Amino acid sequence: MANNIVKFSRNRQTFVEAAADDLLISTCRLQDVFTTAEVRLTVRLPGLEIEEAVGSWRHEYWLPVADIDARLAKLRGVRVGSGMLKIIRGLVGEEEHLAGLVYMVEECCHGVILSLTRKVLLSAPDDRAGRERFYADMVKKSIRLYDRCAAFAKGSPLVRELEAERGETGSA
Amino acid sequence: MLEFQRNKLLAVILRDPETLVVHGVLDDSIYSFDVDLEVRLADLVCRSVSGRWHRWTTPECPRALQFLEEIEGLDLRADDFEPQVHKTVGRHACRHFANLLIECGHAAREAALVVGWERARKERPALTLAAYTAEHDFRPPGLTPEPASKVLRDAGVRAGSEDVGNLSPAPPSAGAPAAAGITVAAPGKESAPPAAASAPAAAVATPVAAAMRNTVSARPEGFLIDLHLHTSPVSPCASSPAAAMVARAAAIGLDAVCLTDHNHCWPSAAAAELAAAHGIIVLRGNEIVTDQGDMLVFGFYEDVQGVITLAALRRRVDAAGGIIIAAHPFRGFLTFGAGQLGLTPEKAAERGVFRLVDGIEVMNGKVTESENGLAAAVADRLGLVGVGGSDAHDDSAVGRYVTRFAAPVTSEEELIAAVRAGACKAVSFVAGP
Repeated sequence: MANNIVKFSRNRQTFVEAAADDLLISTCRLQDVFTTAEVRLTVRLPGLEIEEAVGSWRHEYWLPVADIDARLAKLRGVRVGSGMLKIIRGLVGEEEHLAGLVYMVEECCHGVILSLTRKVLLSAPDDRAGRERFYADMVKKSIRLYDRCAAFAKGSPLVRELEAERGETGSA
Repeated sequence: MLEFQRNKLLAVILRDPETLVVHGVLDDSIYSFDVDLEVRLADLVCRSVSGRWHRWTTPECPRALQFLEEIEGLDLRADDFEPQVHKTVGRHACRHFANLLIECGHAAREAALVVGWERARKERPALTLAAYTAEHDFRPPGLTPEPASKVLRDAGVRAGSEDVGNLSPAPPSAGAPAAAGITVAAPGKESAPPAAASAPAAAVATPVAAAMRNTVSARPEGFLIDLHLHTSPVSPCASSPAAAMVARAAAIGLDAVCLTDHNHCWPSAAAAELAAAHGIIVLRGNEIVTDQGDMLVFGFYEDVQGVITLAALRRRVDAAGGIIIAAHPFRGFLTFGAGQLGLTPEKAAERGVFRLVDGIEVMNGKVTESENGLAAAVADRLGLVGVGGSDAHDDSAVGRYVTRFAAPVTSEEELIAAVRAGACKAVSFVAGP
């Protein structure tokens, strides 16, 4: 019978702070059985350019990231935005022992995006009909949402109007 | 002030000698959910998964749960585990669930290591973690939240090689030119006149395109080219093969297409075959990843691998006599766009990227009207030529936006000359009956 004692555990916290009206600081901290790490990005609005990227990384058995500052410095000037993930990997490095570090950079970027997304979502109505209208309008304005997830999949009530306008029948 | 917070918690137990159970929780300022995975220790295959929403956004988000089971049977150690999770759960269910499930997969791998080490130490109490991992060749879990990593690996991307990536000549092919001898004006300076640049046109024209010169004539509304297409399998994000894309372009009445797969340069012979098969001109371009975003490049035939800085790409393209177009420069996010960030055309035009390109894609089929509008406003403000392309990844999207040229364009050389001369315009294309 198992003793239910955890063999492996991980906490990953990502948080975004507004340092000024046009400046966000996004931080990702990781603590698990083997890893203690942190990455912090400073991002300037409205262009969402990364102004500074710093971090630390310690892992029990992976290779150390000796040149972490230099690797992260390559991110200066990169824009947090669509297509950023391949840029981050290309600049920071795709060696296997860097995967965790790259992931933390990406989490910071996702945090920035989600902090801005949250502001948009705050304007959604409280009632179900109002929210359906809100999200149906959203997918019409941002067509990339269409068929990107279960909520906006073909046949979903949220895309019915869009599909009708596009002359598509849609299927579940 | 705190604007957003996300917490992810992973815990793995050994439920019985052969089974790991992973519990994952994601709780942030927008979403809250948890998952449980049952994983066979011997081979780290996911045997079952379940999930529960606690907070979500749209009224339809709960539909996502039914798709979580698509990862059952996946090997959590496999190289394609993450792409598979993104391709299944990420697209059919919810990308936030996919994010957490990938973390669960990696937690299971780490837990398996711990269990293995603990068991080994019963026989060899002095065995260190370092020695154990060395003996078993443990690799770090490749935490990659989007499938692009595999895409890039498949495409031969290498990181860390001079910050400008790795450049090597494309394999030689019949008619594949180096565009040598073309005089190229530096960005921001006066462009060479089309006549001067057209001298080596025969060198860059695909054989079939050259043969078709006499069979193509401009229609009243101009010569229409979809300048931005992706094809499967060379662009892993695309779903239709090149033949289907070209066939669709021909069927809807386009005069030409330009294949612009990601970091891939088509051999001229292959383009010629497509042209011959479908009776339409097929030109070759490339969409290259730079530190300043995606760039459409024409007249440049080197096989760029990895991420290259835009400045380095500019030098290489100048040397080859090609041109660079900033692709979808204001492509935003799924729920908000550049306008909501307060990015004005004046501010946007200050970006350094626009000093290093020959033109801007002002009509892209994958972005919103406002994002295209901002790109057009910036192009106007900077006096840069604007082009259009569908950015189609499947044949149904071909031709949504195209570039209209004043005169027929039958070779890549003519394309470059026409763009430099500004003899083109982005237009919305409506397919004929």
